[in-house]
Amino acid sequence: MIVRREIEERIGRDVSIGAVYATLERLEAKGYVSSYTGEPTPERGGRAKRLFRLEAAGKRALQVSEQTIRNMTAGLSSRWERI
Amino acid sequence: MRHNSPPAFACWFLESVVPVPLREAILGDLIEEYALRAESASPLAASRWFWSQTCRSVPTMAWSSLRSRDCLISLCIAMGVYIAVGALKLAADLTISRLVAPQQATYVVLAPVVFLTASAIGGCVAARIRRGATKFLALIVMTTVLVLIDIKVCTIPVPWWYQFGFLTLGPVTVLLTPAIFGVLKPPGGGSAT
Repeated sequence: MIVRREIEERIGRDVSIGAVYATLERLEAKGYVSSYTGEPTPERGGRAKRLFRLEAAGKRALQVSEQTIRNMTAGLSSRWERI
Repeated sequence: MRHNSPPAFACWFLESVVPVPLREAILGDLIEEYALRAESASPLAASRWFWSQTCRSVPTMAWSSLRSRDCLISLCIAMGVYIAVGALKLAADLTISRLVAPQQATYVVLAPVVFLTASAIGGCVAARIRRGATKFLALIVMTTVLVLIDIKVCTIPVPWWYQFGFLTLGPVTVLLTPAIFGVLKPPGGGSAT
């Protein structure tokens, strides 16, 4: 729920929980994140929470992605004024 | 519906579609957020949000299910149940047609009864073996009825709604009977979709 809300706040629109979990499943299959099951709580109708942790491989992949985005967008803001 | 409980049908729908490993987490998250939204906004807005999440998550989850190996097992079980129940229905049809052969009207009335009974039995058996198999069975039943309508297997003149009833009520019976009679295999019992 926290992951979904965080994305929602950052992008400013409602995100489907199915899409979030499908993505997290793929990241887990690639070894970028790991998950474990928490304790069931009454607020969740007696259902357990699934908690995710970023793994070292995930951190490296994230750093590479961030650097790629930085390289792609470098100098873009100064060009906006000229357009 | 109680104010603090999410729409029951949406919950059931999600439970039917979401793969077992994600079922607890997704439903738990939605129920938790539903309660928060119902308190901060209104139960109606929270229900609307819950339904929106359900409808938007189902295609992703259905695709995710189809890619899993469990899906193939459910399909095989559905096919097995379909063949067994099909044989049962054929035997019943043959018996009825021998008994009421000259009276077409009687056959027109009895055919849906036999069909729906067979569908209900099939749904219960499939759900008992594996929860996810009922959806495949419903799909197979629907396809069979469509093919039978297309090849005009029914020689007795019947109105369109009679055939439409077979097309819709058959799959609905397969899906709903296990839920009504409570014969669904528990989620933790290795079942999957």
